[in-house]
Formats: sequence, structure tokens, C-alpha cells
Amino acid sequence: MGSSMEEKVVAVIMVGGPTKGTRFRPLSLNIPKPLFPIAGQPMVHHPISACKRIPNLAQIYLVGFYEEREFALYVSAISNELKVPVRYLREDKPHGSAGGLYHFRNLIMEDSPSHIFLLNCDVCCSFPLPEMLEAHRGYGGIGTLLVIKGSPESASQFGELVADPVTNELLHYTEKPETFVSDRINCGVYVFTPEIFNAIGDVSTQRKDRATLKRVSSFEALQPATRIPTDFVRLDQDILSPLAGKKQLYTYETMDFWEQIKSPGMSLRCSGLYLSQFRLTSPQLLASGDGTSIAIVIGDVYIHPSAKVHPTAKIGPNVSISANARVGPGVRLMSCIILDDVEIMENAVVTNAIVGWKSSIGRWSRVQAEGVYNTKLGVTILGDSVSVEDEVVVTSSIVLPNKTLNVSVQDEIIL
Amino acid sequence: MKALILVGGFGTRLRPLTLSFPKPLVDFANKPMILHQIEALKAIGVDEVILAINYEPEQLLVMTNLGIKITCSQETEPLGTAGPLALARDKLVDGSGQPFFVLNSDVISEYPLEEFIAFHNAHGGEASIMVTKVDEPSKYGVLVMEEATGKVERFVEKPKLYVGNKINAGIYLLNPSVLDQIELRPTSIEKEIFPQIAEAEKLYAMVLPGFWMDIGQPRDYIIGLRLYLDSLRKKTPSKLANGPHIVGNVLVDETAEIGDGCLIGPDVAIGRDCVIESGVRLSRCTVMRGAHVKRYSCVSSSIIGWHSTVGQWARVENMSILGKNVNLYDEIYCNGGVVLHNKEIKSDIMKPDIVM
Repeated sequence: MGSSMEEKVVAVIMVGGPTKGTRFRPLSLNIPKPLFPIAGQPMVHHPISACKRIPNLAQIYLVGFYEEREFALYVSAISNELKVPVRYLREDKPHGSAGGLYHFRNLIMEDSPSHIFLLNCDVCCSFPLPEMLEAHRGYGGIGTLLVIKGSPESASQFGELVADPVTNELLHYTEKPETFVSDRINCGVYVFTPEIFNAIGDVSTQRKDRATLKRVSSFEALQPATRIPTDFVRLDQDILSPLAGKKQLYTYETMDFWEQIKSPGMSLRCSGLYLSQFRLTSPQLLASGDGTSIAIVIGDVYIHPSAKVHPTAKIGPNVSISANARVGPGVRLMSCIILDDVEIMENAVVTNAIVGWKSSIGRWSRVQAEGVYNTKLGVTILGDSVSVEDEVVVTSSIVLPNKTLNVSVQDEIIL
Repeated sequence: MKALILVGGFGTRLRPLTLSFPKPLVDFANKPMILHQIEALKAIGVDEVILAINYEPEQLLVMTNLGIKITCSQETEPLGTAGPLALARDKLVDGSGQPFFVLNSDVISEYPLEEFIAFHNAHGGEASIMVTKVDEPSKYGVLVMEEATGKVERFVEKPKLYVGNKINAGIYLLNPSVLDQIELRPTSIEKEIFPQIAEAEKLYAMVLPGFWMDIGQPRDYIIGLRLYLDSLRKKTPSKLANGPHIVGNVLVDETAEIGDGCLIGPDVAIGRDCVIESGVRLSRCTVMRGAHVKRYSCVSSSIIGWHSTVGQWARVENMSILGKNVNLYDEIYCNGGVVLHNKEIKSDIMKPDIVM
């Protein structure tokens, strides 16, 4: 009993909900963000398949605010495909990043797991989960955070932390600090032992006690009520910051890539990162061709088996082509995501763009952008069923679904 | 009698409003756009209205209990402006030989449909079309017709030289025999069908009395509201609000609350369950169902979408459109901001911009 060979692991992936994260619009207008395709697979697929590498994985839970029916099909398909139970749990109201985990603790503890992984769905990284688990066992704390060294500029957008260089203990943590604290940032991937539920429960209880006190003290009663519900527990401010430096939390540093997929432009960047990772881990998924019977392929490219690409087209680098798309003769695609059922006609050029489901790109037309991933118009986005007519140029623009462009546009948002 | 309303597609010009509801259900003067037309049709004895759409009908089929039968005819591929009539043929032809109405869903007018029926019966032709006079005819399709009888000689699409100032108002009354001329394929009623009927000298045009507006885009929607309320002032002024805090033509739903010290109007529509707090200034704007405008704020020439909130001391102007459930914080300045549904606006929009 209790040998590491029998210890089960449960993974929880936070997927968010429709009213949060309007930053991913217009791509999230018609599909939940976690299901948006990155490198040929829904965004949430990447952390899910990383979890599959964890030894003794018993269950994966997706936790979020979307309607159950939005995830029903995906969850049953992925459970079948990966042969691991995946279940979607809907939060009825916001509980905060740690509160959500706590809210479902009974379900999570059903398999009596020895360890629980918590991942954020919109994190793009190599997910070194087995290595993290190994390190965590060595440290003996209640939790281990995945961390990465970030640039001083980017560091301030995420949680900054300080770790002991010898013991890897988490010494200090601040969420989105204004001044520079450290260049180590929190990746949003964690492994915990079940004691974490006690820590979260304590925060809830403390808050309840303080709330009761507030009712009694008349001075406090005069203060404006910025009351946080007692069961709303944030991982960063309420757990990580207070527990830092108490030999409870540790860090594991990844030397690979790490990004957050917050904006549509970033989904193109992260698609590229995953495609180059496939080159190392599963090169059979990538396309190749030399222009004889199959199109010329440069760099890392994913082409769905049902897509049809003409041999005179030249594809890549960083291109992902989804199911049933048709790429015509003489087409040049660079740095783009082409979604299902798109038709690209002869001699068109698409670069630094995302082309939505069922759209059509006319002959000699050009869909382009500068390729700056985190600005509003840095990557051109065409929504579902957008029609770009022959010879039209679409530059640095966002086009909402069901529009037809018969004149060229630049730097515009077209509703 | 039957009527067909060409609802068409996604109403993209009225986004972001049409991202939350299909265009026919977007409110105009406190009721769904399409209800204005349906009520006019019902009033002259039409017993069935067919909605020609090209998307899933579920959201529209909530319109029951109107005392008139509503059915949907859904095209699976684009059929243009005449093709949908062929698609709905079985519903339009009931064997009685009576003519049927065809209306464009984006149009508002006084709908003098009884006069139109009398005009159609008098000339004995095959098709009648309502025309309206405009200042800039070259933006539209112009009809050249005989002044006395209204017999249409020809259509000229977007004429470069002046040929006339009467354009197609999008209201037709057609004999069932017109359907024999329309094939079930993408067809334009203005470019293919009407010119044929005009050549056979069987097409007649009646000049639409009163106002006309295509309210398919925000600027025209706001102008349209002014025209509509003007007309309401002439016909049923009791429906308009009055009081010391009202200027010009203002329509207020009976469930809306208005605080003290407000100045409302001209040309304002305030919808069901809206709350307008004290000291608010509203002019040339629409406040849709459930919206909340907080005190001391000022809204002009804009559209506030369903259940949105305008914060205290906020100023919203210059063709701003707030989609459904937008929260515009206190003291914010919104100049021509087009804001999608469910957004929170915490910083000023200094010049016209789209916020997704």
C-alpha cells in the first residue's frame, strides 16, 4: 500500500468560460477558445495529451463555465482516442483559480490520487509533467510550480517569483508586480498533494471569520464593502504568496518554450511552437513534399489527411491546414492557420493570417499582416465564411464572419 | 392574403447588435423590426406571413401569438432577391388567385397597404411596386415611369446621369402569375424579373406617401427613428411622451423608469424595463430593453443595446453602439465607440473605434 507504482494521479485543466477572455475574439465568437485549433488540434488537446505521459494517470477533469453541451462531443471523442477518462465539470459560479479546484475536491479525490496536476488550458509549453512529478516527490512539499526565466519586459505581466537556487523552494511570489522583482515567472502549471485542499479550505474559513468580525465592528461597518465571497479563492494571492518561504512550495524550471495564448495572434505563434515541437517528438505528424507529386513543404507544416493541396502550391514555414481544406494551384502559404473547409484559389498568397472555417480566398488575392503576435491587427483574422474576391488584398485587418470583401482593405476591423 | 418578407442573411451592417439577435428581432422604436411590418400586414387582412431566411429559423419561431400565421422558408444556398419567392411558391399560391405582398425586411415606412391594393386592382397589371423619392437617386436603382398611370418604362441601376428620382422602396404586390417567371436559382428581382414585366407593360409603380428609410445600418437607423417618430406625432401623438422633461418626439415604454431632472429628446426611444436615473440627457438615441443609464450621464446620436449600463457622468455620442450587456464605467467618454456584447469599458474611447 502506498508504493509509488500504485499511486494514482489526477489532472485538472482550467478552461475558463465565454464571458471571460473577450481578448480572443473574433475567433472565440463562434467556438469556445479551448477548442480553437492550434497545430491541427484543439487548444486543450495539447495539455491533455501531455497529461497522458504522466505515469498512473487515472482521470482528467476539464473545469470551466461553458455550457456542458459545448464540450460533450469533444470530451467523449478524446476519451476514446487517448483511452483515458476525460470529464468536463461546469462551475456554477466563479470560485477563483484555487476555489474551482476546491469546489470539486470530492470528485477529484474519488480515485484517492496521491498527486493532483493543475494546468491552465491556454498555456503553450512542453509540459514536462513526469519530470515535474519526480522533482516534486523529491522536494516533499505540498506543491510545485513550473517556472521559466522570462525577459524583464514580459516578466511583469505574469506572476514573478523568487526561488532558492539550491533547494528550489519558492521563497517569494507576487502577482503582476509594478516594479521588477525577479525574472522567474509562473507558468501556470502546478502539481499538488491533497494537502492543498486543506490550505484552500483554511483561506475560506479565515475569510468567513473576518466577515463575521466585520459585521460586529462598527468602524469596519463604515468601510466600503469590497467583499470577496468566502468561497472565492485565488491561487496566486491567497495560496502562493502566503505560503512562499514556508518550505511548502517548490519550483521546477523548464528550459523549453512557454507562452500564453491570450490573443488570436498568439494562437498563430503557439501553433508554430507546437509544430516545431512535433519535429522532435512526433515528426510523422508533419507534412513533407518536394513539388513533384505533392506540394513543396518548407519548415514545420501540418496538413490534415483530408485536405487537398495542389502539387504546384508552396506551403510553409509554420502552416497548419485543417480538415477538407482545398489549396489550389500556385498558392503560397506562409505562417498561417487554415481552418476546416476553406477554399484557396489559384495563385493566392496568405501570410501571417488565420483563415476561418468555410472561408474562400479568390485567385491572385493576398491576405497578409506584419506578423506581430500581440498587437490587435498584427495578424490578419478572417472569421467563418468570409469571402475574399479575386485580386483583393486584405492587410492587417480583422473581418467578422459572413462578410464578402470585394475591395482591398488595410488596418481595418470589419464587423 | 399572403405576404413574404425577404429577411435574408446575417445583418452584418447592424453588428454588433445582430451578433446577439437576428436582424428581424433587433428593436426599432421599442418593438422588433419585423413586428412593424407584420402588424401592418395583419391590419389589412393578411393571414400568413412567410419569412424568407438563409439561416436556422429557431430564434424567429418564438414569434407566436401574434394573431397571424408565421412560417419560415429557409434557403440553403443564396437565391438572391427573387429566388426565395420561387422557393416559397407552395406557401404563396393558395388557389384563390389573390396577389401577395413582398417586403424587404430592412425598410420602415407608413405602410399604406390598403391604398396599394386599390392601386393594384385599378391598373390591372401583373405587378405593383412602391417607389419613394430620394435626394441622391444615383446610389440606388431608379424607376422611370409614366407620371399619370405609374406604368413603369424601365429600370436604371445606379444611373450616372439623372433619369429620375424615384427608387424602389422594397414593397411589392404581385399576381401569382409572376411566380411562373421565377426559376429556383439565384435571381435578382430588380435586374431580371421586374425589367421583364416592365417590357410587357405590366409593371406599375405607386409613389409611397410618407416617410421611407432603409434602417439596415446604424446611421440610417437613427435617421429612421426621427422619421418614424415624426409620423407618429402626426397620426397618434398620444403614444409619444410629454412633460417638462421631454423635448420633441420621444417614445417611452410604459415599464421604463425616468428619474428627476432629466432632459429627454428629441428623437429618443426608451424600451421596456429601462432605467434612466436622475439628471440624464438623452438625444437622438435608442435605449434598448433592460438598459440602465446612470445619473448625470449624457447620450446622443447613439444606440445603447439590451441590458447595457451607461455609468454616472459618462458621455456617449457620435454614432456609438453598445452591444448587448455592455458595461460602460462611470465618467467614461465614448466617441463613436462600437462595442461588442458582454464587454466592460473602463477607459475612454477618444475617437471612433471598434472594441471587441
